Formats: sequence, structure tokens, C-alpha cells
Amino acid sequence: MADFLNQPLADDSGSEDDDFNPAPAVESDNDDVGDESDVDGQPVKSEAPQRKVNEDAYDDDDGEPPVKRRAAQNANEDEDANGDEDEDAHGEEDEEGDGEDLGEDDDEEDEEDEEEVQGHRRKRAKRDARLQFIDVEAEVDDEEEEDEAEDDELPDETHPDDLLDTAGAENDDRRHRELDRQRELAASMDAEKQAQALKEKYGRSRGAAADSVVVPQRLLLPSVNDPRIYGVKCKPGKEREVIFSITKRIESKKDSKDPYKIVSAFERGGTSMAGYIYVEAWSKDDVYAVLDNSLYVYPRTKCELIDIKEMPDLLRVQKTKMLEPGMYVRIKKGLYAGDLAQVNEVETNGLQVEVRIVPRLDYGANEDLQSTQHQAGGEKRKRAPGFMTSAATVNRPPQRLFSESEARKKTSRLLQPVSSLSGKTFQYMGDTYVDGFLVKELKIQHLETENVEPTLEEVSKFAAGDNDGTENLDLSALQATLKSKTAAANYLPGDNVEIFQGEQAGIKGKAKTVNGDIVALEVDEGQMKGQTVEAPARILRKRFREGDHVKVIGGSKYQDEVGMVVRIKEDRVTFLSDATNAEVTVFSKDLREAADTGGKVATAKYGITDLVQLDSATVGLVAKIDRETIRVLDQNNNMRTLLPSQIVDTIDTRKKPVATDRDGSEIQVGDLVKEFGGEQKHGEVFHIYRNYIFCAARAHRENMGYFVLRPQNCSVFATATGSKNRGMDLSKMNPELMKNKPPGASMMPPPRPRGPDRLMGKTVSIRRGAYKGLLGRVVDTTDDHARIELMSRKAPLSLPKDYLVVKDPVTGQTIDIGKSTPRRPGPADAGPRYGGHTPMRTPGFNGSSSGGWSGSRTPMGGAASGGRTPAWTGGGDGGRTPGWGGNSGGRTPAWSMSGGGGSRTPGGWGGNDGSRTAYGDGSRTAYGDGGRTAYGGWSGGSRTPATSHGSSGGSYDAGNRTPAWSGGASAPTPSASGYSGSRTPAYQPNSHSSSSLAPPSHGSASNSSNPWATHSAPTPGATTAPTPGAAGAPTPYDAPTPGGFNAPTPGGAMDHPTPRYPGGSGGGHGLGGGGHGLGGGGGAYGTPAASGGGAAAAPTPGGFAAETPGGFAAETPAGFADDDE
Amino acid sequence: MSATTAYVGPNQQRSLRACMVCSIVQLQGRFMSRGCPNCDDFLGMRGSQDTVSECTSQVFEGLITVADPKTSWVARWQRLDNYVPGVYATKVVGALSEEAIAAAEGAGIKYIPRDGSAQEDEPAA
Repeated sequence: MADFLNQPLADDSGSEDDDFNPAPAVESDNDDVGDESDVDGQPVKSEAPQRKVNEDAYDDDDGEPPVKRRAAQNANEDEDANGDEDEDAHGEEDEEGDGEDLGEDDDEEDEEDEEEVQGHRRKRAKRDARLQFIDVEAEVDDEEEEDEAEDDELPDETHPDDLLDTAGAENDDRRHRELDRQRELAASMDAEKQAQALKEKYGRSRGAAADSVVVPQRLLLPSVNDPRIYGVKCKPGKEREVIFSITKRIESKKDSKDPYKIVSAFERGGTSMAGYIYVEAWSKDDVYAVLDNSLYVYPRTKCELIDIKEMPDLLRVQKTKMLEPGMYVRIKKGLYAGDLAQVNEVETNGLQVEVRIVPRLDYGANEDLQSTQHQAGGEKRKRAPGFMTSAATVNRPPQRLFSESEARKKTSRLLQPVSSLSGKTFQYMGDTYVDGFLVKELKIQHLETENVEPTLEEVSKFAAGDNDGTENLDLSALQATLKSKTAAANYLPGDNVEIFQGEQAGIKGKAKTVNGDIVALEVDEGQMKGQTVEAPARILRKRFREGDHVKVIGGSKYQDEVGMVVRIKEDRVTFLSDATNAEVTVFSKDLREAADTGGKVATAKYGITDLVQLDSATVGLVAKIDRETIRVLDQNNNMRTLLPSQIVDTIDTRKKPVATDRDGSEIQVGDLVKEFGGEQKHGEVFHIYRNYIFCAARAHRENMGYFVLRPQNCSVFATATGSKNRGMDLSKMNPELMKNKPPGASMMPPPRPRGPDRLMGKTVSIRRGAYKGLLGRVVDTTDDHARIELMSRKAPLSLPKDYLVVKDPVTGQTIDIGKSTPRRPGPADAGPRYGGHTPMRTPGFNGSSSGGWSGSRTPMGGAASGGRTPAWTGGGDGGRTPGWGGNSGGRTPAWSMSGGGGSRTPGGWGGNDGSRTAYGDGSRTAYGDGGRTAYGGWSGGSRTPATSHGSSGGSYDAGNRTPAWSGGASAPTPSASGYSGSRTPAYQPNSHSSSSLAPPSHGSASNSSNPWATHSAPTPGATTAPTPGAAGAPTPYDAPTPGGFNAPTPGGAMDHPTPRYPGGSGGGHGLGGGGHGLGGGGGAYGTPAASGGGAAAAPTPGGFAAETPGGFAAETPAGFADDDE
Repeated sequence: MSATTAYVGPNQQRSLRACMVCSIVQLQGRFMSRGCPNCDDFLGMRGSQDTVSECTSQVFEGLITVADPKTSWVARWQRLDNYVPGVYATKVVGALSEEAIAAAEGAGIKYIPRDGSAQEDEPAA
């Protein structure tokens, strides 16, 4: 450049004026080099005129538009050029001054002053001179170039060149030189500048468009002269519509007389500025004018002026990160919304991206209906379940790699293998699957590229595609995604670092200080050793040596892994993990020299032995926690290796679960259980979940000692608390389990009587113990005790109910209550049972039971019955009644025993009034009798009579043996009634045997008295049923009956002599007594009875008398005595 | 102008595209039929589906309607002051192909990426 400037100057000087040549040259040189200021002196003088000339020249320039226009390229530039020139001149002046200051000493101040003055002139002179020499056009052009280039070099360089050239050169042909100069100019400019110049030239020539292009945006900041911007509230999401409606309005009135005056309007929806539009206008009214009455925008609500300083912020645009293959993005919509995808390929315009996605396919499981529709609906329909539908992602299938076999199962016709090099490419349902991944072209607007933040679990899904199972995780791709996050702020003073980029690449050192992103490192190798160099963190990387012990500090899934460096390749460091002995490769930035050797386990969310939910149907026990994975023993005793993300949650085991082992004992957490059968494993229970027991045994090798048992298949052998008893055995409550057990002691307890205890409020007499004989009133009862207020004592006392006898408060008579009621069968005593049985078998009994109690008193009953029964009356003696009653009563049960009503009827009962009465009577009596006896005599060993009866029965032979007998055990009723009652059936067989004896007596008996007849009638009746024979021959029957009967019963029961009976315990006597008694009872009767008795007595009484009396005597009297009272 | 209105109804806004050079926003069909009002001299989109999809982008944000490009600061800031009035975008995502850039440069237009990268470069420059 210098050359070309030289030449023209030289030319010019040569052509126009030689004198001027040196001056500017020297001047300019002088400006730069202070030393030559002396030289300046000379030419100065000549400058003044030069300047004039120059100015003239300028004027001339103006006067020569054509030339100048061409050079200046722009009319406006002319003015600018002038201005620039002046400025330049001044600038140079200043420079001069500076130069002088630098170059000269203080003693030259004078000169300096002079020069100041001169400088001004010189300036002019220089310009003038230049203008002198340089062609106007060229000169202007030159200026232009300089200005445009914004380069001070040109003028600076010009001067020395000028000097040189002007000094030595004198040229004639100005034109030529100029041409040369321009050519050389062009040649000398390096290509870049040339290009720039060209561009500017053309840019300009093309019009104003390029004007703003070159102006840096910072120079475009708004000023007060610009229109204002108003922010107007609008409906969020409708910004675009508002802008378009404004557009429409503007256009509609654009050519009218009164167009809208707003300048522009814009929106920034989608960013944080949603809900506003911004209108650029000169006044608020203009904004209102255009926005009033438009939809979605509310200028009157809020229309605020935006501060000038904030205006550029409104239009700030953030660069979208350019996607690169391997980076991770998220899908915004559709089935895969939220899923991570890996960029496979980016189209050149950056708008279409091919991504890999882990498919979510159900392989037609839920689409049977739809698939048929597909065929019908054709292509359009096919899209429905396709990719970018807004289908709810709620029930989408899980992410799984594409499986060819599954696809073939149901939807094989939709599957087409695609021949490709990799060989694992399929076309399925309109999508392409490569190596198990769905490969899909997506528009960038459907992808989330910011804040992707892939988790390692997600990333590992993409990494796990390798055949050999090794992970081919592309660390660099991951890093590209994570780039923003892992700002290199993790350098610490002391780290060994290395600069790997830029001019200083290769410098190694130790970080001294870290200040934000700037790391100062002390170089410790090479030439610069010892120096401190500052470098931005991004061009640094950490440096390790083989053998270093390092720890992973972040950014990788190996976080906290510790190991020894074995290999370093660029910024990838491979180390041998201490924990797993596996080689791990990570970025050096993620490493730090390890101070410690252990790493903490990363997944603290789950603890060992936690019970975790794996899916809705599967639970498991955490058996081992590895760095990345968790090993879980599931309920089926399978060990699974899972990522923490595959575990749904821990199962809260705060509630105490219980299970029942095979023995029915309770299993609780902490118990020791033993497997029944199988391996007989035993271990401690850790968890009980539904029907699974998770146990652990240290002795057990498999699955780290954990195993799962079924409760049915194990038994507890030690409980957590050490005691085997833990409340109720649940199995005992299960009737099913009890079904097969023998009925034992634990029979069903007797049902408790309902309602209030009958004893309550009753007047009772105490018949045992210290209070024997005292009367009292029952105030309260329990099951077996009664609380009694004695008449004679204030304080109540509690006595067993057994001690009590209920008395009629008025009469003082004993009342049987409760126990003899059918509802209240007595305890397992023979007595009560007996009492119970008998009445129960007696059909008429129930009826009589309630009402007949009082009547049951023998005397009473006797009287009544006696009164009623004609026979009785006939019989006469009331005293005998009881005896009769006893008799009849005795028979009554027989009746019943004989089988119920049927037999009764025939017996002549039907026709016989009296008999019925007698019967009823009898029953009552018998009852009363029996009951009484039972009660009265029980304690006294009433059984004796029973036995005696039995034994007597024995003497009777068959009769006694009859089940009825034993069952009846009616014995107690010592009285004949009981006896007879039970005997009757028994007799039937008996009767035969005894028939020989009986007939006579019978005959007489029947003949002698009606009652007897009636009696006999029923009896046979009763017996008839079972024993036809007996029926046919009632006589024999009767014979024994009365015989046996009379002897003991009446006698015992009714006759006063009864007491005596016992006394006279001879068989004969007994009979005699009986006979006598009867005889005493009624003459008519007596005879036959006696006779009968006599007849019968022989066999029957023998045994009979022998025993009955004993028992009899003992009690009957007592009972009688009572009753009689 | 009514025939050439820049107005686009809400139902059509899906098919809007923005020129990657001048950021003007138009319907795709309009790019096809009329090209870009500012850049068609060198991009030649009119009638060429491929060119349209190559030089325009569906991904843009921040609509600006410019009524008076000459006086508008917004237009100047966005370097739209020499363009026709109409609707523009503040940001157009996408990269122009090399050929298109060359064409723009050849026409004397300094291509400014409209995807936000330009402003990031500014402070550095």
C-alpha cells in the first residue's frame, strides 16, 4: 500500500508543483517521527499557500460532481467525506502533538508551541499538498477507502511513503500513475480485505438493505427519537391471533386517508412474556386506535410504556441448541410423551430429526377391534394408534425393546422384515424398528431439546442394545447432552490439570486458584515451569497418571466408585474399580484423586431386607444393594437384579402381620420358623406378606441366605418373645378343624338359660351349711350361686344354689323350680337326668308340669284325683290316693314309654272317662311323685332305690333288664310310681314270665275295682303296642303290675307305714306290707291286691322288697313329711 | 393489498413458515405462489417446493407485524427496516443451507442467522 501511495503522491507532486511535494511528505513523516521536527521548519512556509490551493481544489471538487460521484459512490458520502476529513485532520493534529510529546524534551517546548501553530498549518498543508498531487477523484476515493476501512493505517502509512516517493520521484504522467496506483492498490490488498471492499461496494450499490447489516446491533439501541413500545395485555395463547388481527387492521386502512399510526406490533408468546403483546407507536392513543374492539386484547386494562432500556430485552432471542447425533431429547406429545429419545440424525436444516425411541408396543394386545377397523378405514384410520396421536399416555404399554416374536404372535401381517445390513430391521405397523428401537423422523417442534436431563436409567436403555451385553454407552453423546450441567466448575486447587485446547495446549500444571471459570495453574513441566498461567476451565482437563487412585465424583453412573487408573486416553480415563475389580472408563473431569478408599452406596432409598413392591402382584425382599442395581428376592423365591427405578416402592410394614403356621400357631416377624419337609430350612422371619414369609438364615448359602416360605409349610419353633403361648389357638376356633375330633370334655357348653334366673326374688330355705334351715330371699344370682337376704339377718350372703330350696313364701311349702323344668335339665347327675328324661318322655307331662306342681303334692293330687275318679271314690280312702296316684303315675310313664298315644287309646282309655282322669291324675301324681322323690331324695342317695329297683328288676328278670328300666332309672322314685312307670314297659316282657303268677291276682284285681280295670286297661294298652301277647293277656300283666306295684309303691309311697317299710325289710314282709297297705287302702281292692300281691309277691316282691325299702325308707318319708307339711 | 394480505386466520396458522433469511412469516402456499417478498430474488422459492422447505422453517417464534419498517425501531433492531411491511418472526429455528447462504451473500445480503445465534455472537464481536 505504501508503494501505491508513494507513487501517486510523487506523481502529483511532479505534475502539479514540485515545491509542495517535500513539504507534506516531511510533514507527515515528521508527525510520526518527532526527531525530524527540525526539518519541518522549512516547508512550513510554503504550506499556507498550499492550503489555499487545496481549498480551492476542494471547491473545485464540488464543482466536479460527475467525477466525484463516481468515486464517492454516494452523494451523501460527500458530506461525510468532508467531515471525516476534518476530523481526520484534527485527529492527526492530536497525534502530532502526541508524537512530539513523546519524541521531544522539555527544552523544546518553544519549538513545540511553534509547531502547534505550524501543525495546524501543516495539517492543511498536508491535505493541500496531497490534494495537489493526487487527483481529486483519486484523493476522494482514497479518503473513502480509508474511512470505510476504518483504518488509520492508510494515512499513517501514507506519510512515510509520501516522503520517500515525493523525495525521489517526479512524474509526468499523472494518469498513468494513478492507474498504476489503483492497480497496485488492488493487488496489494490482501484477498480478505479485497473481498470486504468488494462486498461493501456491492452492498452499497445494491441499496439500503445492507446498511443495517453491517451496523452492529449494539449501535441500534433505541433512543428517545424512536417510537415507544407499549405492552398490552392480551389473552395468553392468543398472541399470534392478535398480531395477525392487527396486521389485518393495518392493511385494511393502509391506503386510506386515516391509516393506523402504529409502527409495529409483536408478541413473544411461548416465552415468559406470554399474555402480552407489544405495540410500537408514537402515542398511546394510536395503540388504542388499533386495538380497541379487537378480540383477546385488552388495551384499556393494561397498556404500559416500556422503558427504553428494556426494549432490546423484549426482542432477545435465545439460541436453540443445535441438535447433534447422539444427543438426547424428549418427545413432547403422543404415545411417547416424556420419553427419552436419542438423536440419530439431524437433517441439514435442523428441523427434522431422526430419533431412536424405546418402543411402547402392546403388539396388538388391545387393538383387535382397531385393527379390523384399520382394514376397513384404510390409511387414515391406520394413523390413529400411530405415533403422534394425543392418545392418553396413561395406559400406554411399558417401554420395551421391539420383539419380533411378540409381534408375530398376533400381528404378524403387520410385520415386515426389512433387509438391511444390520439384519434386525423391521417394518411394523408403519414404523421402523432397528435393533429393537423405534426409529422415527420427527419435527423438531415435537421434541424437547432443552432441559432434557436424561437419567441414567433412561440412558441405559439405549445403551443396553449390544449383543454381548456390554454397555456401549456413548459417553460423549451423553456429555453433549449434559454439557450445560457439567460446567467445569469442579476444579479444585491442587488438581493436576492440563490445557488441551488453544495456543497453550499441552501445558500441564497444578491448579492454584479457581475463580469462577478461570483457573490459575502453576506450570510444573516444560519450559514455562514455575510460571502461573490462567486458563478458562473449559480448555482444561484433569490429568492423572497411571496408578493414581481416583474416585468418580460425578456425571457418571459410577459415581463414588474408587479405583486405580490403568489407562488414559485423551480425556478418558480407565480405572480398575476397587469394589468390583472391573474396568471403568469415565471422563477425567469426573475423576478426582481419591483421598479415601470407600464409596458410599448410591441408592439409599432402599435398605437391605426392605420389603419392596416390584409390580402390582409381586413383592420382594431387598437382598443386596449394588452400586447401580438392587438384588431382590421376589415372592417366588427368585433372585432378581433390578435397577432402583424398577422398584415401585417399599412396602410399609408398620402393621404387624401375622400368619398361621401349619400347626395353627401364630407366626410373627422375628420368629424362628422351620420349613416342613423340603430342605427343612429354618430361619428368622423378616417379613410376612400375604401368604409369603420372607426368612433369612445365615447358614443358608443360596440367595444370600434369604428364602421364601409358605406359612402352611412351616412351623414356628421359637417365637420372637420366647414363649410359645400366644393367646388363643386360632385353629380351635375353626369348626372345620374340630369336626373330626372326638367329642370330649370340651363339648359344647350347655346353653345358658335365657331370661332372668327363676330363683330371683324367690323365698328360699337353706338346707345345708351353717345357715341351714334359715329362710331368705334371693336377691341376686350367678350361674351357681345365689345371693340371699336372710329373713333373720340383714347382710346378704352368697350360697351355692344347691343349698337352697325354694319355698312358697306363704305356705312355706317347697317349690320345685328351675331344675325340673324341661328347659333346665339338671346337670350331669343321674337324678336330674332321670327327672329330665322321664318327664320328657311323658306326653302329658309337659302340660302337667307347669300347673301341676302344687297339685303334684301327693296328698293334694291324691285328693283331687281321688275325688274325680270314680274308682277312687269307690276306692274311698283319700289316704290311699297317693298310693293310687303313685300307681297310676307309675303307669303313666309306661304309657308314654310304650310309644305314645296310639297304644293309649285302645286300652279302653278311650271310652273310659275315669281312666282318663285317673290318667291325668296319675300323671300328675306320678310326676309330683317322681319329681318330689327325685328332689327330695336325691341328696339322700335316692339312687339307692333306683338301684334297688334295678336289682329288684333283676329279680324280675327280664323286666328289670328292659332298657326302659335302665334308661328310666326311674328307680328313684322309690315310690311305686316311678317304679311302675318304668316298669311298665319293662314288664311287658316281664309279664310273660310272671304271667303265671299274675293272672289270678289280675283277675281279682280287675274284678275287684274299676280303677284297676282302667288301670289295667291302659297298661296293657301301653304294653300292647310292643307286646301283643301282653295285650292279649292283660291279666298276667296286671297281675304282676299291681302285685309288684302295690307292694312297694303304694305301700311305700302313700302308706304311713312307709317309714315302717324300711324298717321291715323282709321280702315277705314287704309284700305283705304291700298287700296290707293295699288292703288298707280299700277293702275291695285289698283283697285282690292282697291276693294278687300274694301271688305276685312271691316272685316280684322278693327282690323288690329287699331293696326298695332301703332307699325308700330313707327318703320317701322325708319327702312326704315335707309335703305333708 | 387485500389480495396479498399478510393476515392469516387462526385455522391456517399451522402451515405458516418463516423465511430463514428475512424471517418473514407467510403461509407455505404463499411462499410457493409468490415467494419471499424480500428474498426471492436470490432464493427463488417461488414455485419450488423444495426450496421453500429448505429456506423456510416451521419453527419460529415471536411474531412481529411491521407497518412502517423505516421508522420502526423494532424493525431496525431486527434488521427488517429495508423489508416490506408484513409479519416477521423474532426467531426462526433452522439453518440455511450453504448454497442459500452463498446465494444471499452473492446478492449482497449479509445472512444473519435468525435462530438467536447472531445475538450471542454480538457481544463477542
